[in-house]
Amino acid sequence: MKTVFTVLALVALLIAPLIVTDPFYVHLMIMVLMWTVLGVAWNILGGYAGQVSFGHSAFLGVGAYSTMILYLNLGISPWYGIVLGGLVSALIALPIGLICFRLRGPYFALSTLAVAEIVRLVALNWESLTNGPVGLLITTLPPVSLWGEPLNWESKTPFYYIIALIAAGALGITFLLARSRLGAYLLAIREDIDSAEAIGINTVQARVSALALSAFVAGVGGGFYAMYLRYVDPDAVFSISLSVEMVFIAVVGGLTTVIGPFIGAVFLVTLGETFRTHFLWGHLVFYGLFMMVAIRYMPEGIWGRVRKLIGNRVGVQNG
Amino acid sequence: METLVQSIVSGVLTGSLYAMIGVGLTIVFGVMRIINMAHGDMVMLGMYGAFWAHASWKMDPFLSIVLWVPAGFLGGLFIYRFLLRKIVPAGELNTLLYTAGLSLFVANLALLIWSGDYRTIKLPYAIMPLRPMGIAVPIPLAIAFGLAILVTAGLYWFLVHTDTGRAVRATSQEPEAAALMGISVGRISMITFGLGTALACGAGVLLAPSLYLYPTVGEILVAKCFVIVVLGGLGSVPGAIAGGLILGLAESLGAVYVSVPYKDAIGFVIFLLVLLFRPAGLLGGGKS
Amino acid sequence: MAEPMLEVKRLTKSFGGLKAVADLSFAVEKGSIIGLIGPNGAGKTTVFNMVAGFLPPSAGEILLQGESLVGLKPYATTRKGVARTFQIVKPFRNLSVLENVTLAAFLRFAMRRQAQAEALRIIEKMGLTAKINSLANDLTLSEQKRLEIARALATGPKLLLLDEPMGGLNATEVDQAARLISEICRDGVTIIWVEHVLRAIMNTSHRVVVINYGAKIADGTPQEVVQNPDVIAAYLGKRAQPHAAD
Repeated sequence: MKTVFTVLALVALLIAPLIVTDPFYVHLMIMVLMWTVLGVAWNILGGYAGQVSFGHSAFLGVGAYSTMILYLNLGISPWYGIVLGGLVSALIALPIGLICFRLRGPYFALSTLAVAEIVRLVALNWESLTNGPVGLLITTLPPVSLWGEPLNWESKTPFYYIIALIAAGALGITFLLARSRLGAYLLAIREDIDSAEAIGINTVQARVSALALSAFVAGVGGGFYAMYLRYVDPDAVFSISLSVEMVFIAVVGGLTTVIGPFIGAVFLVTLGETFRTHFLWGHLVFYGLFMMVAIRYMPEGIWGRVRKLIGNRVGVQNG
Repeated sequence: METLVQSIVSGVLTGSLYAMIGVGLTIVFGVMRIINMAHGDMVMLGMYGAFWAHASWKMDPFLSIVLWVPAGFLGGLFIYRFLLRKIVPAGELNTLLYTAGLSLFVANLALLIWSGDYRTIKLPYAIMPLRPMGIAVPIPLAIAFGLAILVTAGLYWFLVHTDTGRAVRATSQEPEAAALMGISVGRISMITFGLGTALACGAGVLLAPSLYLYPTVGEILVAKCFVIVVLGGLGSVPGAIAGGLILGLAESLGAVYVSVPYKDAIGFVIFLLVLLFRPAGLLGGGKS
Repeated sequence: MAEPMLEVKRLTKSFGGLKAVADLSFAVEKGSIIGLIGPNGAGKTTVFNMVAGFLPPSAGEILLQGESLVGLKPYATTRKGVARTFQIVKPFRNLSVLENVTLAAFLRFAMRRQAQAEALRIIEKMGLTAKINSLANDLTLSEQKRLEIARALATGPKLLLLDEPMGGLNATEVDQAARLISEICRDGVTIIWVEHVLRAIMNTSHRVVVINYGAKIADGTPQEVVQNPDVIAAYLGKRAQPHAAD
């Protein structure tokens, strides 16, 4: 049953831009998929491992900047650069994790906030590397040919397929994680960290692994973000708002589920677009409102609630 | 030498306001173990309250503290009673996420209503700084400092000399024992949250003439706030006061002796170091 | 005599000025059940916490088959073969019985299928097969205690530390638990057992160590210990003085 759904979903993903050709809607789909990737990233750490991070924009931003800098300074094609960006994010996640995981629960959350702010300030001030508050801009993307035809970077379609690939990959990673030993260990840590230690789980190693994986996915998402928007600056990619939006997607969509982040992303983007047209500022008002409503009435998220209604439990093997 | 003294003075002045904000946050944590991510936005509301009092009613912004502190108190009561109270049983992380949502909501509501344009309050008597012994002291900051001390002293008196205040302290130390002694923990929690919000709003009013106002100022403030309360020990009022002063001094001295752009980072680095090595706070008076 | 499974030498734990465990020494032979008893607050759980790695000792040695356990974190001691249960049970409440035990079995079996098979085997042994898919939170206390032990067993321990497994159980459940503990020992696990239900511990243990105020006051077979005047004094207090009639 699940395989049928997955195949159908993948097919829909593949043919969507052929059916919906209006560039505005293609842009929306790209946004949904990109936010899915970011939501997946947060979900790995915040959902499965239960470690709430308010500083995930740090990993997004590092991925974005890495990809940009590798392309602008070293000529490395962003399509490799995105993956490299993810790796850089995963690398910085290691010392961050070793420091911050000494703390638990809300204290960990606060420390991630502090780390993200430090990263933002470094990016703002290390002008030789990041160009400071001015940011980095790409004017031309490198030519790439697929089956002899050069891709048209002016159209949104190539971007769509790239992010679709990344999103499918991210969801796949979550699926595999959920079934793996590490995934089970993370759920144990989420439930009761002392008990987890008592049954032989090296909780620091497990959490750092989760963080590195989460950072990788966020970094890849950030790399794509940089390539799609072709511009990064510290306040855009390292903002606390971005971090909170990532939390929102995962929480509202459904923590510890595979599909949850996708649902959350759909929700976020639809909400955002609906209100962005009416309000110049402050459309995030509704994000805040819905996050409060979600925690109050649906802490398991939309997808979690749907599954409850269908009678499944959020378990180790379910997606 | 003069620069050093100047930095110290600036640091203490700003630090006093940080302290006020920090005390509000720490008492809420002490009594209810709630980390209120929206605390910074309460400060922002106080700031805008002062601004509009000045712009619309021509009221001296400092005078408006008489209006906005009680309003903040009532607002805090309301928020706790009707919003937070149901969330607290769901656990610390859920409460944290909830207050994060609240913060997002309040900040963006403010953006919506008042737009993102930066605003300032210009006071005719505040153009030239005072110069006691050659040290430049901006007048609004000096007034803020004085009032902050007054308010904090008032709070201290309340906590030590009134029954309700003592009940707050008791609940903060041992909620179960307090309940057994007949203290209504629910009522005390509500009052404490009101007090915390009142302090935040008050600090906002005092800060308004000295800073640029924009609706998302709460973000950075709440981050700094946590530095303060962690420095002083979560739940400890004297600790928060000390923490606020330390942060103010560290930033001020850091701006002069390290570098201006990185001065904001200093607070966070100290924060991480303290969390790592002395999670109970520098004074050891808090709970980890 | 073969090397003891566990040797505790001059173990001490101070909290500030208070000595919770004072110069405690005892040895546990492989394949035996040692009861650790003493009045409330005697320091028994503190000893467990130190052996399992949750607390560092202030002084003294802890040797598992000759290898020191001091300084190892809890997961490391578990990997060396020391498993423990908690006095107030700490199951993974929102996970099922099967998931709880499988998690522990993952220590020895990296693949889910094998870990689950091992978990099923142990769950059967502990009599919890009927509740395999129930959430840990929904079990009765007796079942939760058995789950706690099942989880500890799934890590394949050489030494099992049981912290008051019978607290809160009724008489039938106590007998059932005592039989289970004997069986676990027969399967080759050495057991140290802290308990207040003296009947059970005296009937099932090979040897008993009595501590009071953190120090050992007796060490011998259950029969020897029960007659030891220091033990009696510790539990019952000094003999009451005769009153004048009211």
